[in-house]
Amino acid sequence: MLPTLYLSDCKGSVKIAMGAVVCVESDIRGDVTIGARTVVHPKARIIAEAGPIVIGDGNLIEEQALIINSYPENMLPDAEDVEPKTMNIGINNVFEVGCVSQALKIGDNNVIESKAEVGRNVILTSGCIVGACCAVNTCEVIPENTVIYGSECLRRVQTERPQPQTLQLDFLMKILPNYHHLKKTVKASSTPARS
Amino acid sequence: MATLLQPEKVLYLVRGEKKIRVPLSQLYFCRYCSELRSLECVSHEVDSHFCPSCLENMPSAEAKLKKNRCANCFDCPCCMHTLSTRATNIPAPLPDDPTKTTMKKAYYLACGFCRWTSRDVGMADKSVASGGWQEPENPHTQRINKLIEYYQQLAQREKLERDRKKLARRRPFMPQAFSQHTIHVVEKYGLGTRLQRQRSGAPISALYGLSLKEGEDQKEITIEPAQALDEVEPLPEDYYTRPVNLPEVTTLRQRLLQPDFQPAGASQLHPRHKHLLMKRSLRCRKCEHNLSKPEFNPTSIKFKIQLVAVSYIPEVRIMSIPNLRHMKESQVLLTLTNPVENITHVSLYTCEEEDPDDINSTAKVLVPSKELVLAGKDAAAEYDELAEPQGFQDDPDVVTFRKSNKIGFFIKVIPQREEGDVTVAFKLRHDFRNLAAPIRNTEEVEATSEAIWLTHHVELSLGPLAT
Repeated sequence: MLPTLYLSDCKGSVKIAMGAVVCVESDIRGDVTIGARTVVHPKARIIAEAGPIVIGDGNLIEEQALIINSYPENMLPDAEDVEPKTMNIGINNVFEVGCVSQALKIGDNNVIESKAEVGRNVILTSGCIVGACCAVNTCEVIPENTVIYGSECLRRVQTERPQPQTLQLDFLMKILPNYHHLKKTVKASSTPARS
Repeated sequence: MATLLQPEKVLYLVRGEKKIRVPLSQLYFCRYCSELRSLECVSHEVDSHFCPSCLENMPSAEAKLKKNRCANCFDCPCCMHTLSTRATNIPAPLPDDPTKTTMKKAYYLACGFCRWTSRDVGMADKSVASGGWQEPENPHTQRINKLIEYYQQLAQREKLERDRKKLARRRPFMPQAFSQHTIHVVEKYGLGTRLQRQRSGAPISALYGLSLKEGEDQKEITIEPAQALDEVEPLPEDYYTRPVNLPEVTTLRQRLLQPDFQPAGASQLHPRHKHLLMKRSLRCRKCEHNLSKPEFNPTSIKFKIQLVAVSYIPEVRIMSIPNLRHMKESQVLLTLTNPVENITHVSLYTCEEEDPDDINSTAKVLVPSKELVLAGKDAAAEYDELAEPQGFQDDPDVVTFRKSNKIGFFIKVIPQREEGDVTVAFKLRHDFRNLAAPIRNTEEVEATSEAIWLTHHVELSLGPLAT
């Protein structure tokens, strides 16, 4: 279930590094930092309401993906003093179309396939693949190179991590600016500007 | 509304060897016997084999040689999906000049669903796209083959003796020509295909059997009995204390799909060739006519012969169910569809008391007493906007609507039990014109086709009582 959004506390400051391709049609709210060579497709949503989100380099965030740092379900934003927790996302991750990720810590080289859901208390290490339509909302650290697949979320360990999508990223970074307006890259200290 | 159209709610009774109640869409109709047939009272024959992923056709003999598996396609040993071949570029030294490296293509198998690759089990990448993959050898193959040969010979001998006995009893006459309606029967121990009548026990021409196999009979095969061993390998010492590495343990399904090896560890799961599927044809057991014969081409879903019940028998469907209350009469709206092109007359009867077919009904039903007339199915009617009214006099209490070959009508249902699902049953009697009857003598040129009346037992399950 998608959490409801409380927008009263969102302070808009989106920091986009040089070399990242972020389309204007994407919906980025709150304190979000996006690393170099990351591609954010149109209609992707990155929402930092309960804390900042830091996204590393070389990530691929596809359409209708939702990366959200939200309050835990049964807490109102003004009820107690909640420390804002930062959501950290590593490098070379792929968030495929329509996935929902609320995990606070994601390592490198992970793939979250289409329509998968990753809960808040899951920690993805490196090389993990969450299969299409798999919902993982346990409270655990997923070991490296784990593949979660199937309607029953079976698991297995693969011997090598998934390859970083460099070819795809290069292609997108060439093609997307031809068809979409991009958000201006901003250094970390200055104010944001929407194009 | 979509749930009411579910065919499982309306069951037709098939009076075959067993009494089976099945929806009409799963039944066949033998128009020579004029009876409904279900899958259990027909004989199934294999038409052709094909691979479900590459759609390659294979004659049955070749399929048997390859143990019913495709030569090109593989199954993932982990999730049983079809494996696809992927290519990577690896640097490899040129044959002429060992110092320079060039990019060569290396192929490996990968599963798109669970991300298993052939590198997981240690299979090296191949340099050819297809045909390079070998299945691992079973160490017991030789012994098994020898055993199979020995038992085949034994079975052969038993059969010859049986044939000789029969030959001695029978009066000698011409060997029967193989009739058209014979079925492949795989004999004991898979000796080979022999054409044989399935149940009637009519003996084949015994002369044929004797003459062919005599040459091979001369080789006697002996086998050594299996040796029992006294000592068994001991279990490793930490067998009970070592923690189990769960991702490495294979599931039962993965293990049993490879009965040769049954590996306990996931790192020994090798891919297997894909199983072939087959197309089958169905034959009525009483009159030996084909009821369903698919086309030979694996990509074609059509049938050469398709005698399905839905195209001959009027179909009853539930349209709407009101709230059903215990011992209160309510009206259920049903539709009747006429599948044939001529006018059909349908009458419904309630089941009598002590009807042996009527075991499931939990409610009384009152069916319309008049005969219902259904117009023929007119394929061009849907394009004809100026459809003329059909001129049937319908009793508005019984027939609610009429639309080309379909009518809606009411039945009255009185649930008899306080709890549980409401099930009603009635008999459906309609006239059937057998257009497939063999052409009669020229004297009866005028007889178009006689109508015979068929009666079917129909059961409807109307769901639970309204609370």
